[in-house]
Amino acid sequence: MELGISIALILSSALMVLLVLLHKGKGGGLSDMFGGGFSSSFGGSSVVERNLDRLTVITGIIWFVCIIALGLMLKP
Amino acid sequence: MLTAITRAFRTPDLRKKLLFTLGIIVLFRLGSVLPTPGVNSENVAKALEQAQAGESNNIYGMVQLFSGGALLRLSVFALGIMPYITASIILQLLVVVIPRLEALKKEGQAGTAKITQYTRYLTIGLAVLQSTAFVALARSGQLFPNSNLPVLLSNDVFPLVTMVITMTAGTAVIMWLGELITDRGIGNGMSVLIFAQVIAVFPAELINIYRLSPFKFAVVMITGIAMIAFVVFIEQAQRRVPVQYAKRMVGRRMYGGTSTYIPLKVNQAGIIPVIFASSLMYLPQLAVTMWGNSEKPNVVVEWLAQNLMQGDHPVYASVYFLLIIFFTYFYVSITFNPTEVADNMKKYGGFIPGIRPGRPTAEYLGFVLNRLTATGAPYLGFISLIPVVALGAVGASANFPFGGTSILIMVGVGLDTVKQIESQLQQRNYEGFLR
Repeated sequence: MELGISIALILSSALMVLLVLLHKGKGGGLSDMFGGGFSSSFGGSSVVERNLDRLTVITGIIWFVCIIALGLMLKP
Repeated sequence: MLTAITRAFRTPDLRKKLLFTLGIIVLFRLGSVLPTPGVNSENVAKALEQAQAGESNNIYGMVQLFSGGALLRLSVFALGIMPYITASIILQLLVVVIPRLEALKKEGQAGTAKITQYTRYLTIGLAVLQSTAFVALARSGQLFPNSNLPVLLSNDVFPLVTMVITMTAGTAVIMWLGELITDRGIGNGMSVLIFAQVIAVFPAELINIYRLSPFKFAVVMITGIAMIAFVVFIEQAQRRVPVQYAKRMVGRRMYGGTSTYIPLKVNQAGIIPVIFASSLMYLPQLAVTMWGNSEKPNVVVEWLAQNLMQGDHPVYASVYFLLIIFFTYFYVSITFNPTEVADNMKKYGGFIPGIRPGRPTAEYLGFVLNRLTATGAPYLGFISLIPVVALGAVGASANFPFGGTSILIMVGVGLDTVKQIESQLQQRNYEGFLR
C-alpha cells in the first residue's frame, strides 16, 4: 500500500513537472519582477492552453491527495 | 483608503482577480506548511525550536526568508521560489556573456519568451539539485547542527527519492502558481509569492519579540515604520529629464509638439542587486556546511568559515556592501540603455532641451544615470546592512523582522501591486488608492 502510493506520488510528480513545463511561460523573468513594467495580458488563452490547465489542475489534485495520504500513512 | 478598497471589490473583474490571487496565496501557504511525506514533523518542530534558541539560526537567513520558514520545516514547497530566482539570475548573467542569448533578447517578444522557457527548464534542474542537497543534509543531520533528533522517518533510498521528487514537483507547482497570478491575477506572480512568504513570518516574529520584552517590541515597531517610510520615499524618488517633441505633419494631421519627461528613478535597479548579492553570499556558507566538518580542513574553507559566516563580521559586511554596489551598476546598465533611449527619441523627433539629439543625448543620459546610481547603490547597501550592523549592537539582529531585504521586498512589491490595482480601478473611476 505504502509502496503503491509512493509510486503514484512519483508518477504524478513527474507528470506535474512535465505539464508545468509544457505551459507557455508567462513570467518574463526577474526583469519585471520588482518594479518592472506592467505586463498586461491581452487576449484569452488558446484552447490548447485551457485543456492543459484543466489537465494540470487534475494532476495537481491527485498529487496533493497522494502527498496527504502518504503523509498520514507514514505518521510516526 | 477604505472606500477605495470597497470600490475595488465592487468592480466585478477586479474582484475576480483579487480573489483569485488570494486563493492562490492560500494554496501556496498551505503547501508551505504541509510536511513532505517521510519527514518526522514532530522532531522537526523540536529541532527548529532548539535551532532558534541557539546561535546558528542565521545560516540560511536569506533562503529561509524567501521560503517563509518552509525550508527548515522540509515542507512540500520547501524550496520556495529560490530555484526560480537563481535560474533567472543565471540567465540574466548569461545573456551578457553568450552571444546567442543576447541575439534572442534583441529579437523582442518571441526571443524573451524563449529565454523565459530556458529559465523554467533551468529552474527544474536547480530544484532537483537543491532538493537532493537538502534531503542529504537532513539525512546526515547537518540541517540542524545542534540537535541530534532524527529528522527523517527512514534512511532508505526509496523514501528519499520520493521526497526529492516531491519537492521538485513542488517547485514546479510554485512556478505555475506564480504564472497563474501573473496571467489572471494582480501583480507579478513571483514577486507576490515572495511578498506572501516574507509577510507570513512577520506575526510570529513580532509576537516572539513582544514576549521577550514589550520595550524592545516598541523600538522595533518604531524603527520599522520609520524605515518603511524612508524606503518608500527613496523608491518613489525620480529625476525627470525633460523631453520636447517636435511638431510634425503626417498627411493632414499634426503630431507631436508635446513635452514629456523620462523618469529616472534614484534606485533604478529595484531590489534585484540585493537578491543577487545575498544569493552569492549564500554560496560560501553552503560550502562551509558541506566541507567544513571534514578531518583535514581546507585553507580556503577555513578562511571562509572565519570571515564570511557571521553576518556582523566586518569582512562579510564589506563584501556584501561592495557586491550590492557592483550589482546595482551592473543591473542598471542591463535594464536602461542610454544609447537605445536616445536613438528612439531621435526617431520620433524628440530631444532634451539644450542637448543635441543622438550621441550627446546618450552621453547626457548616461551621465545623469551614473550620478543617480551613485546615491542609489549605497542606499541599497546601507538598507540591507542595517539589520546586520545596527541591530547587532542592540542584540536583536537575528530575529529582527524588519530586515533590510524584507523591507525592500515588501515596499517594492507592495507599491507595484497597488499601482497595478490602481490602474485597473481607473478604468472605471478616477479616484484610487494613491492621491
